[in-house]
Amino acid sequence: MSRTQTPFDPQAITRPDPVLMTYYIVVSVLTTVAFPVAIIVLWCKYHTLQYRFDDKGISMSWGVLFRREIYLTYRRIQDIHVTRNILHRWLGLATISVQTASGSAGAEMNIEGILQAEALRDYLYAQMRGARGDADEETPAVAGDAGDETLKVLCEIRDEVRRLARQGRAEA
Amino acid sequence: MSGRTDHASQWIYRGVWRVLVDWFRVPKEPPTLPVEPGDVIETFQPAPGFLRYLKFWFWLGLLPLDVAIFAGWIVVTVFVPWLGVLLFPVAFVLAVVPDIVVYVALHLRYDTTWYVMTRRSLRIRRGVWIIREVTITFENVQNIHVSQGPVQRHFGIADVVVETAGAGSDSHEKGFQVTNQGLIEGIQDPQHVRALIMARLRESKTAGLGDDEAEFRPGRAWTPRHAAVLREIRDALAAIPS
Repeated sequence: MSRTQTPFDPQAITRPDPVLMTYYIVVSVLTTVAFPVAIIVLWCKYHTLQYRFDDKGISMSWGVLFRREIYLTYRRIQDIHVTRNILHRWLGLATISVQTASGSAGAEMNIEGILQAEALRDYLYAQMRGARGDADEETPAVAGDAGDETLKVLCEIRDEVRRLARQGRAEA
Repeated sequence: MSGRTDHASQWIYRGVWRVLVDWFRVPKEPPTLPVEPGDVIETFQPAPGFLRYLKFWFWLGLLPLDVAIFAGWIVVTVFVPWLGVLLFPVAFVLAVVPDIVVYVALHLRYDTTWYVMTRRSLRIRRGVWIIREVTITFENVQNIHVSQGPVQRHFGIADVVVETAGAGSDSHEKGFQVTNQGLIEGIQDPQHVRALIMARLRESKTAGLGDDEAEFRPGRAWTPRHAAVLREIRDALAAIPS
């Protein structure tokens, strides 16, 4: 439980929690007849599953024979789903599904095996577009005169034209 | 229902809840959303009419089944009395147990459905065995529709469906799998919720597809100062003798 007391840092997450393997074992047992196949597939998935959370987005990869890697940026997240079945709740797990605006039928990314699912969900939510009022606050700095390139160029053109006009009058 | 049976059923229901919370880890408290200062958080559940609506379908579905089971039992008893006596407990259990289970399940479904709204986003959580939660920011909402059938109209409720551009194409299984929809079902004033979300949508300057607001900021456009300098250029040009 000491893990939950430290402040949550998503960038430190690279691997799913070992509890996920327990979950996978139980799930494969529940498939009964398909157990040998299921356990191999899920074992491979667990051991190759990698996460990387950076400033801009999430990358997730897994697979032995067929490797898969997904990358998506936080700003393009459309909605966040958190699903927990009974097994998940007993083991303290959750599946966080993240969707972007692509046309596929399912979720783009199912993040499994994260113990601090609530914290991760809140982190993703905070990174999502429209979660904070950032659009309203950043405007004034840009509109100021000092950094306005266009206005500067226009002033230069004006001065140049005036100089030309003066020159023309002097010649005339 | 009389006072005593009401009391007893409440007691049983609380017991069911205790089991769910303690053993099955069903969260008892409503979900929350991060709230900014100055924002209000609205937490609500479906209207009581929704529970009556669910019970209506429950009676419509299970009453004929119960009648059929007892009718069958009576026929058996008339023709083979000893078999009828033997089958009575079986028929009784077959008829009554599903009723109780479904009745409790309806109440649980009603009590575990939560909607949370702030000015920026919406969170919906529902489910007992599989708990699903969806978070949508209004910035990403593409459309909203309100639907109400005749039976729902009778009970004074309606569904509001909030759609994003996210994945998910099967709208028939709404709310039961990961889709791009937020289903706010069984609420009394759908127009209020719809108006709230629509007002927020109109404020938004983007298409809700991950495009950056920066390009749409008025700060980058021409200001009166630019116009003033342009006017000065025009005047200066006009002053040049040709």
